[in-house]
This record gives sequence, C-alpha cells and structure tokens, in this order.
Amino acid sequence: MYDVLITNGRIVDGSGEPAYAGDVAVANGKIAAVGKVDGPARQTLDARGQVVAPGFIDPHTHFDVQLLWDGAARPALEHGVTCVVPGNCSLSLAPLKAADRPALIGMFQQIEEMPPEAFTQAFDWTWEDFKGYRDAIEKGLSINVAPLVGHSVIRLWVMGPASQERASTPDEIVRMQDLLRECLQAGAVGLSTSFVDMDEHGRPVPSRYAQFEELDALSAVLGEFGRMLQIVPEFYDTDLTIARIDQLAELSLKHGIPTTFSPVFDSTLTPNNVPRTLARVEEQFARGARVWPQMQTRPIDISFSLLRPSLFFARLPRWVRILRQPLEPRLAALNDPETVEKMVADLGPDGGEMMMGALVVRGGDAAPAALVGRTLSDIAKDRGQVPARALIDLSLENGLDVAFLAASRGHEKTERIGPMLNHPLVHIGASDGGAHLASFATYGDTGYLFSEFVRKAGALSLEQAVRKITAETADIWGLKDRGRLAEGQAADIVIFDPDTIDRGEERPAFDMPGDGMRYVRDAAGIDTVLVNGQVAWRGGAYTDARAGVVCV
Amino acid sequence: MTTDAPDEPVIVSAEIAAGHDGAAELVVNLRHPNGALEPVVMDGKLGLDLMQRCGAATLDDLAGRSWRDILGASVRPCTTS
Repeated sequence: MYDVLITNGRIVDGSGEPAYAGDVAVANGKIAAVGKVDGPARQTLDARGQVVAPGFIDPHTHFDVQLLWDGAARPALEHGVTCVVPGNCSLSLAPLKAADRPALIGMFQQIEEMPPEAFTQAFDWTWEDFKGYRDAIEKGLSINVAPLVGHSVIRLWVMGPASQERASTPDEIVRMQDLLRECLQAGAVGLSTSFVDMDEHGRPVPSRYAQFEELDALSAVLGEFGRMLQIVPEFYDTDLTIARIDQLAELSLKHGIPTTFSPVFDSTLTPNNVPRTLARVEEQFARGARVWPQMQTRPIDISFSLLRPSLFFARLPRWVRILRQPLEPRLAALNDPETVEKMVADLGPDGGEMMMGALVVRGGDAAPAALVGRTLSDIAKDRGQVPARALIDLSLENGLDVAFLAASRGHEKTERIGPMLNHPLVHIGASDGGAHLASFATYGDTGYLFSEFVRKAGALSLEQAVRKITAETADIWGLKDRGRLAEGQAADIVIFDPDTIDRGEERPAFDMPGDGMRYVRDAAGIDTVLVNGQVAWRGGAYTDARAGVVCV
Repeated sequence: MTTDAPDEPVIVSAEIAAGHDGAAELVVNLRHPNGALEPVVMDGKLGLDLMQRCGAATLDDLAGRSWRDILGASVRPCTTS
C-alpha cells in the first residue's frame, strides 16, 4: 500500500526530458514508482490538468532565524520550495558562543533587517555549536534545510573581537579548520563568505579580514567533504567580480570543490557586466573548475521615502538639496509653500506625471492602508493635485514615513535575462529569502520564472525551467536523492497549474516577532506541496506535517 | 583646433540605477586616456556625496570631473545578502 498516489498528472521529472502523462506513488517518504502506477494508497491526489514536478530548491536564503519559529520558512513552502539553503553571505547562527550573540545579532539586523524581537522573544537560544543549532531547527521543520556555515561566525568563534581587526595567525587558521570540519560533520552543506557586507556599525564583517591563505585553508577542509563554497563578490564591479571568479576557480581546482557566487544581475547601464562575467565563468569551467554564478529571476525595484535622502531625485537639484538636510530643516522646507511651489515647478508642466506618476505607495509604514498599492497618479487625481505635490503632501501628512516604489528599474529586461537564465552554467537562485524584510519581498521568484520566462517570453521550456530549480540545483550542491521524480528519491513534490503559477502582488505582512513587518508575496497556481512524502501545503493552507529534515 | 586628451580618467556621464538592496544607486561612466569606458557603481550615500563634493546640481554636472573625485568614496558602506 502506497502512502500517497498522485494520479493523472503531467510529469515533469526534473531531468529536462519532455513531460508525459503519468502517476507518482509515494511510500515511506520516498518515491516508490513513477509512470503508470496501480495499487491501493492511503491518500490519492488527482493532478488532472496539473504538472507534477520535484519540489523546488532555493539555494540562497537567510531563513536561519525564522526557521526557529517557522519550520515552513513561510511563504517559501507554499511557492513550491521544498528545500532552502540558509547561512549565506558569511552569516549563520552557529557556531556561536553565547558571549558573541550580540555581535551577530547586530550583523543580522543590519544585513537581513530582522527586528530585534526576532532574537529575544521568538526562541530559546539553547546552542553554541552547529549540531545544537541543527537540533534546534529540526524539531519543527516542514521544509528541508541544507544549511551553510558562515565564515564570519567561524572567525568570531576563534578570534573574538580580533576577527574584525586583523588577519589570522597560522594557529588560528588551524582552529578554524577544525571548527569548520566539526560543522560539516554536523550537517553543514558548505561554507559561505563575503567580500562586501558590513555590520551595523559600518565595519566590514569578520570574513572580510581574512587573507587568501585563510580561505584556502578552509577550502581544503571543504575538499575533504566535497562541499560548497559560497561567496558574495564585489558584484558592483565587473573586474573585481572576474578576479573573484578566478580565485574561486583556483580553489575549486585545487580542492575539488564546487563554488558559487551571487548576486549576478543585469542592468542596461552596465550591459557588459553579465556577458563578461559569464564569459569568464565559461573559461573557468573549460579548465575543469566549478564556479556557478547565481542569478535571480525577479526584477529589482527602487523604493524610497522622504525620511532619507535618495538618488531617485538626482535629476532634481532643488529636491536633492532640500531632502539632504537634517530632519528639522527638511520638514521646514517641505512646509514652506513658496519652496514647495518651486519644487513642483521643477517637474515641468506635467507636475511630475511622467517621472512620478507610476510610483506606487507601499504599505508597512505610516501610509494610510487605503492608499497602499495605488499609483501616485491616481492618488493625485483624487486629491486634485499634480503627482509631485501629492507626493510631498502625502509624506508630510504621515511624518514623511510613506514609502514609494519605482518598479522594475533593474534586471528587468526579460529579453536579455531570459537567455541568461537559460545559460547552461547559470544557477538560478539568489532569492535572498528571509532577508531584506522591510525593503522588498524575497519570495515567489520560482513562480515568476514560470510566469515571465516560460509562459510570457518562452525563454525556457517548462521542462528546462523545472530542471534548473530542481535536479540541476541538487547536483550543483550535492544534495543526494533530491531534485528528481524517480524511484528511490525523496518524495519532495510540487503539483502546480502551469497556466497560472505565479507570484502574487507584494504586500506587507505583520507576522514577524514583535509584530514586525516584512514584505511578502503569496503563491498562485500551486495546488499541493509534499515534503518527504507528507502533504505540507494543499488547497491554499498549510498542514500539520513536520517532515522536513536537514537534507545534506 | 585640437584638444589634448586628458591624462587621467574622466567622468563622462552618470545615471541612476536600481541597487541590489532596492535603493537607487549611481552609475558613473569613466573614460580612460586610452579611450576605454568603465562604469563605476556607487551606492546612494556615496553617490550623493560625490554630487555634493563636485558641487553638482544635476547628474549632468558630473561630466568632465576627474576620477579623483570618486576616491573619497573609497570605502563602500554597502550591505548585501
């Protein structure tokens, strides 16, 4: 007797091969049969008209903290994601001595925008070592987790405050190697490091003080396990990124490890960035190195409020001058009718319709709920104002704490990005799930892959898109028995409607500890998600299943 | 009449771009003495600092400035994840 039998589905098995009609049987958390399956089952799911695929794998997240109170990494799971990789960018919650917790909390707050209550109210901090953290999250997982260990915390453990002051000594490097080895033995899927990130005091995170010898030594330990090295390169500069690709290639070849870097994104202002980056990646793969560039699917928006200066107004000298002032004189200027008259006049005869009309009012701050999601153009018409004046008045009425969104201002050219995503060496990822909480939603990139690049643009076939975020990802990361619909594989399965799978509109949610706010996107077109053979999401709701594991 | 080519990189243009963290960034294009163009990406704070340092009222005012004006922004206080 099977535990679950999924019938009448359109099987897209993760291999990239053409879809076919069939059934999938599940027993004991594994896929028992795929194809034409007969036999009794405790639960039968009719997937008529829907795709049955392996669960999606998200290789770049920051769910380290959220997993302690939310084992589903919501809303990742409802988007069809059955495995997440937290611990990116040199930061993880273990190993960490109790005395160093405040330092790490500061880094997480700075980089992931976590509210402080997330660390003080939401869980009991019971661990110091990596195994202890694994035990803490494994109690309630309904999604699978392949956690990275962060270079910064390894440095912090061995060097203390000196980790943000100097290079390590040979003895310290040996101790870091021992600690990394212990983490890998306890279930870490690899090591993450960063050449970019800063802490809450504007200081480079500990990993940035490491010299190459240290990273080389740690990579040697990764080589003992064949595990991943993830880095954040100086992504804003193509030449520096290429230099990092070369470094990663040397480490990959020397130690026999896979490596990956992110973010990689396209901009029409730096149009050669991705082509040059991919060209170097191709050269290094040709040498035998494994250096996987991670590229996100979603476009990048610009958001701002008048609380802080923004380059959004850089073409308006008077606006820049006024908004750069400290709060008190800034408010005085914005309350001065004569000044505002001049500011509005700066926008020209349309009053800012062209430049500002399409801005969308964001929620989650002081914006009146009735205005959230509406364009400034609409709001201005209701108020009988031009957009520039409406922007100023609306901000003043709400203590300047109204955020506006200029959508799709980067990585937004589907005709350029589609072929990039379909490049055989591009690793689709870099979602940043669980980070940037108060800035934008980091969920639903998989739905956007299908809606924008499969259905709308036809840049990838359905089968190619599924393969990219399932079997290919599992292979890159060495996740055994994941990413394919095949007998013996873990029964991580998503059933979705290929005609409607998508990401929902971005919306504020107040579901973080301490009523903290984050932006989320709901899933569309996802019918059912199984994790290790148990139904974790179905019919628009989470179940009580807790079948997730640390799946390294 | 001929104009001597500059003997150091010069800003030729600047545009606003969307940064990884959702903030507006400044992309400054430098032209090197050999004619090569190179983009330099600056986050919001550094971009505004550059404009102020150059006394630039608009982005167009940055054109013609020396690359040395960017040097004050040598430590990039950006975050990512």
